[in-house]
Amino acid sequence: MAAAGRAGGNGRRAKRGTAALLALPTALWYLLFLIAPLVVLVVMSVGERSPNGGYAPALTLTQYAALPTRFTPLVNTLGLAALNTAICAIVAFPVAYTLALKVRGTWKLVLVALVVVPFWTSFLIRTYAWMTLLGGNGIPRILSWIGFGDIQLLNTPFAVSLGIVYNYLPLMVLPIYVSLERLDRSFIEASRDLGAGPIATLRQIVLPLAAPGILSGIVLVFIPVMGEYLIPVLLGGGKTYFLGNALADLFLQSRNWPFGSALAAVFVAGMIVLVAGYLAVSRRLVRAGRESSLI
Amino acid sequence: MSKRPTPKGLDPADITALAIERRMTRRGFLVGTGAGLGALALAGCAPSAASAPPATTAPSAAAPSGGASPSASASASAALGDSMTLATWPNYHDPAVLEDFTSATGVAINVQVFGSTEEMEAKIRAGNSGIDVVVPSNYAIEGWVKDTLIEPLDYAKLPDFKKEDWNPLFMDQAFDKGNVVSIPKNWGTTGIAFWSSKVSPALTSWKEFFQAAGSTYKGKALIVDHQISSFGSAAVAMGYSLNTIDPTEMAAVEQMLTALKPQLFAISSDVQPPLRAKDTWLSVAWTGDGVQVVRDNPDDAKYVVASDGGELWIDSYTVAADAPHRDAAYAFLDYITQPEQAARETMFCLFPHANDKATAMVDPAVKDNPVIYPAPDSLTKLEYAVNATYNSPERAEAWARIKASA
Repeated sequence: MAAAGRAGGNGRRAKRGTAALLALPTALWYLLFLIAPLVVLVVMSVGERSPNGGYAPALTLTQYAALPTRFTPLVNTLGLAALNTAICAIVAFPVAYTLALKVRGTWKLVLVALVVVPFWTSFLIRTYAWMTLLGGNGIPRILSWIGFGDIQLLNTPFAVSLGIVYNYLPLMVLPIYVSLERLDRSFIEASRDLGAGPIATLRQIVLPLAAPGILSGIVLVFIPVMGEYLIPVLLGGGKTYFLGNALADLFLQSRNWPFGSALAAVFVAGMIVLVAGYLAVSRRLVRAGRESSLI
Repeated sequence: MSKRPTPKGLDPADITALAIERRMTRRGFLVGTGAGLGALALAGCAPSAASAPPATTAPSAAAPSGGASPSASASASAALGDSMTLATWPNYHDPAVLEDFTSATGVAINVQVFGSTEEMEAKIRAGNSGIDVVVPSNYAIEGWVKDTLIEPLDYAKLPDFKKEDWNPLFMDQAFDKGNVVSIPKNWGTTGIAFWSSKVSPALTSWKEFFQAAGSTYKGKALIVDHQISSFGSAAVAMGYSLNTIDPTEMAAVEQMLTALKPQLFAISSDVQPPLRAKDTWLSVAWTGDGVQVVRDNPDDAKYVVASDGGELWIDSYTVAADAPHRDAAYAFLDYITQPEQAARETMFCLFPHANDKATAMVDPAVKDNPVIYPAPDSLTKLEYAVNATYNSPERAEAWARIKASA
């Protein structure tokens, strides 16, 4: 790059050349791994299922017209993703609050590290571990000793929720922790000095300032949960059916690639709308935060 | 979706007992990196079996007869290349057999393992998979021929193949008349596994299975996550064909399974863990699950072929149309379809083999095990799933609606 700059002679042009060269890997990355696959997806989605399965070229919207047949998994997924994201947020906030504002020094470091520790083990193995815990020889057996009778935990919507909250909680805790960590403590002190109770302080000071973190956490959890496939299979016993499972079945059982592509395309479009909405809201939050701190 | 369960209960003693003397020695034929890669591939496949000491329980198979002589193989190895790729099921091949092929020819076998025929199809349909030999189930073959995913076999390149050695029940079948594209390997059934201590009276038919699953044994039954096996068995229970694609019949089966679903423990192809944990008391299962669970619990576990019908399946060797190592692929088929090798494979994977001569060489403990080799009478009502069943969008949608239902 330095050689190119010297050879170019013109400093500004060289700088622009360097910038373009530096941007090249990123541009290639987006082109190869984002744009190209999306193009393939859209092209396939207007195709037809070949008579023996797979894809046959065509230009038709029949796949999109058939999308209502996957309405049930869509509603399932939206409902459960929203519910579990909410549970994650409710569980994560007190954890993040404690980590950010109540503990100090080494303890803080250790506790924050502990939030991340589960990521050191494979997602699959952790989920399998829950299968054993929730299976008939695990927690239900202990419950029946205590006298709760025959309770089935594995392969219930409860098990799916537990798996999701357990696996995705760190993704909610960390952004909230970061936003609370950066929070200027004098705001809280001022609020208390001015006579606000703890609940009023939480509602009027802490929550609004933590809002960008909560919002990031919601997006970080909601989007992957929408695409979740493994947890419903392993902990739901195939009885809780997500969009991700519908997609996998379309490719690996029905071998209907065009319909699978149409479903995936609509799913991706939905997620893009969601992320755009998130960006708009978070920008407004940041601006509001800046204005209020000026006052 | 894994149709071939991993032999979780297979202890080293079993393997030692089942292992037979390696027919060829490795001397002089370890060809550089090729053999090293092969060893790696095999190590990944099933290390415990690969390291089992050779026993001598099957002297007939150990006799150094048949097959190409090592020196001939050595001269041929240059033309065969140094590797090939085999797309197959988990724990389906005796690593020692593959290792011996590598020793004899210098061709290392890269084993790719799949949990279902559909997954194999996704890979080879995408093209440029690098796969040479594929081992699909019967129902996929016609469609693969139509879309030229596999090629007509060049029998001139299989000089040691003898059609008369094979069981007529599995040769020249509707899915491949004249065995133009496929040579059978192992076969099996879709049957009923249950604990006799928990399920009484014993189950004998699909009709009884599905009735019991929805009444006496609520929350204790599992059906596999496979349209052909589960929807098909339910169809048999209602008196229809395993292969029904009749709209009225399919609607009836769909209604029955949708009503049954909330009473099921799971719709999952991971049959063995809940069965062994006794979370499930009765289960749709494949031969491999039955063999392993019954072997480990001989007094309590049962695996039965339903008396009212059900699925008979067979996996076959095929050569991918875009096979990059065609000569090596044929050399491998010529080797692996020999009765001696087929017998070794059978004793390793514990599925019955379609080659009668191989069956005759198999250890009596395997041959006379009714779970592995069921009585021929019990098979008469079984059906092969046909390509139309595998391929029917209506049946796939019905299965998807059942799975999506609350």
